[in-house]
Amino acid sequence: MIHVDLSRCTGCRRCETACAFFRTGRISRHLARIKVVNLYETGIDAPVVCVQCAEQYCMPCPEDALATGPLGQVIYSPTLCTLCGRCEQRCPIGAIEIIEHTVVVCDLCGGNPRCVQACTEGALTYIPQENRDSLNRYEHISKGNPPGEKRKLYASDRGESLRAQWRDSH
Amino acid sequence: MTWMKPVIGGRAANSKRLLEELDFACDPLGPENMLIFGIGPLTGTLCPASAYYTVTARSPLTGILGDSAAGGHFAAEMKLTGFDQIIFTGALDTLSYLLITAEGVDFVECPDLTLKSITETTCAVRKQQHDPAIQVAAIGPAGENVVLFSTIVSSGNRVNGRTGMGAVMGSKKVKAIAVKGSQPVEIADPPRFLSEARALEQHIMAHPEYSKRHHMGTTMLMQDLNNIGILPTNHFQKGVCPYVENISGETLARTYKVKNKSCFNCPVHCSRYITCHEHQGEGPEFETLCSFTSRIGNEDLEYALKMSIALNQMGLDSISTGEVIGWIMECQEKGLLTPEDVDGLSVHWGDTHAISTLIEKIVNRAGIGAVLAEGAWKASERFSEKARDLVMQVKGLDIICGDPRGIKAYGLTYAISSRGADHLRAEPYFELTNRKKEALRRFGTEQAANRLAEEGKAALVTYSEKIALLCDALTMCKNIGLCMDVLHFDSAATLLTAATGISYTPQQVETSMEKCITRDHLINTRCGMTRDADTLPERFLHEPLVEGPTAGSTVDITKMVDEYYALHGWQ
Repeated sequence: MIHVDLSRCTGCRRCETACAFFRTGRISRHLARIKVVNLYETGIDAPVVCVQCAEQYCMPCPEDALATGPLGQVIYSPTLCTLCGRCEQRCPIGAIEIIEHTVVVCDLCGGNPRCVQACTEGALTYIPQENRDSLNRYEHISKGNPPGEKRKLYASDRGESLRAQWRDSH
Repeated sequence: MTWMKPVIGGRAANSKRLLEELDFACDPLGPENMLIFGIGPLTGTLCPASAYYTVTARSPLTGILGDSAAGGHFAAEMKLTGFDQIIFTGALDTLSYLLITAEGVDFVECPDLTLKSITETTCAVRKQQHDPAIQVAAIGPAGENVVLFSTIVSSGNRVNGRTGMGAVMGSKKVKAIAVKGSQPVEIADPPRFLSEARALEQHIMAHPEYSKRHHMGTTMLMQDLNNIGILPTNHFQKGVCPYVENISGETLARTYKVKNKSCFNCPVHCSRYITCHEHQGEGPEFETLCSFTSRIGNEDLEYALKMSIALNQMGLDSISTGEVIGWIMECQEKGLLTPEDVDGLSVHWGDTHAISTLIEKIVNRAGIGAVLAEGAWKASERFSEKARDLVMQVKGLDIICGDPRGIKAYGLTYAISSRGADHLRAEPYFELTNRKKEALRRFGTEQAANRLAEEGKAALVTYSEKIALLCDALTMCKNIGLCMDVLHFDSAATLLTAATGISYTPQQVETSMEKCITRDHLINTRCGMTRDADTLPERFLHEPLVEGPTAGSTVDITKMVDEYYALHGWQ
């Protein structure tokens, strides 16, 4: 998975830009598979990306358009997909989304994630792993929201402990 | 394309638009003034630090060309809307924000946001539009109240600070611009573009100042300027601050900084997030830090941090606000202003209570605040000639924090800058880098690298102002492009050609910038500005500093300005 250290994220969005450019050849951050939430009201900047969760909320896909790859990543088949939107609705953190008639989700760039390369601050690390984190907590927090709002709720929640550290630092 | 190519984009394109379409008989606060938000062909791309946008109008503070650039994330999002310029003419009746999304362009009335802060406005717009990724550039209460040095603020704390662009926006009753883009931008030659952008990035990250800038950002200048005796202290009466340790960038980074912050796609991440008791926010940059510490005789760092956040939220330019306060302090010290002149307030150096009271009056245009909201230069008209002489300004714009007696190329830049006293029109940082051989090669004399010499400075400034404008046209950060000396005409031509598919040569880029600089000069001539205004306040010409490494030095401004005009071939 791509591990995110929020305390090191400056909100520069280099990960987003690199992801979109590598995947589309264009400047199109909305097509990025990793998306940064900049919360100006709290100072939290949070890249949100598929964590290959224990629950695998996006699966099973009714059309079998999603599969699990050898790295645990989600593999998407545009030919099988009918854009039903089930995966987007189910993901509790807004990490899978339909944009421009295609499903956009991180596939770890086959094991060499460009977002991690682009990060100069050490906020992103690629950790091949067997244990999957649970997103159960966010299922209830974000249910019914569009992907952008889910990312914000996830970022806010994850940012709380960092903000507590900042408060304690005085 | 034929319109954009010769100006590239950003500030240069905005100026062209203004010269072609503005009626220069206009009242800067009248509906006929234009307000232009501009970006360029590289904005929001993988070109490092291409995060800026420039806002341009005829300035209500100075009456001449007004513009101000800011970084953050607004520009990159604007790029994806497909618009390179957003131009306001006329004025609204009801406070509204402009919304630009894939669905179209519309004004949304928002009387409920009246006098709301920047963050309140940003959050309210995001909530109302059900999209936390919308980028917002807004004015605060100061802009709505048409304080002439009010700002536009985006990305929470990114400020178009100078020349009162917030007041122009306020006069049009535009509370904010909200953008959310979804149009991908094609790069004509992706491999070539990527390789040039990466080369530039490697240059930046290998730069000897990289780690210092990453650690402190521009606040590193507190100690640096103090070391050479040019840190404005007690309103430019001194250049050495005895308590600099308490207010330095090092102290700030050690005590209140909790993490780095960054503009879009920047590898330097020079901004900082701070927490200080109940106050938290991004910043401050050097100008705000100095304006609210040594410049006004205040050694309380916590107060400066609190005010940095407050000013950004209210939408006041920290440099011009600091000048108003410092000017009153010096005038009262010298008996040129009485407490009765300032609503009964005694304003002593570092008197934080009085400072806060003054700022509140300015934002609300209450009492003497209505006068001070016009800026120090206009406010001084009602007082004595001696008080007027103490306003540290050129062409009505307040001088930044750097004493020109010890940095002569900066002195020349303040004098000739087309928006009034300002360093960013040329940012001749080169004169502080002690590169004598390079000075001889580039500017014909080793003296160009001697901060105390006038010689060679016109040549340095005429070169630097082209690179500064190029940064603004490419919408790149000047700390990187110019101060770190990484942007040159050849790399700009390569990037532009690879990005747009339109052929640019280094010579064309340079010539374009020269023409744009002459165009700005022409705009100011249309506004009634003459060569006499290209000077500095008397203090810098005749009163040497008495202590520190810049003691004894004054500026021979006429010599430098004459050389500068000769190099441009201007009359």
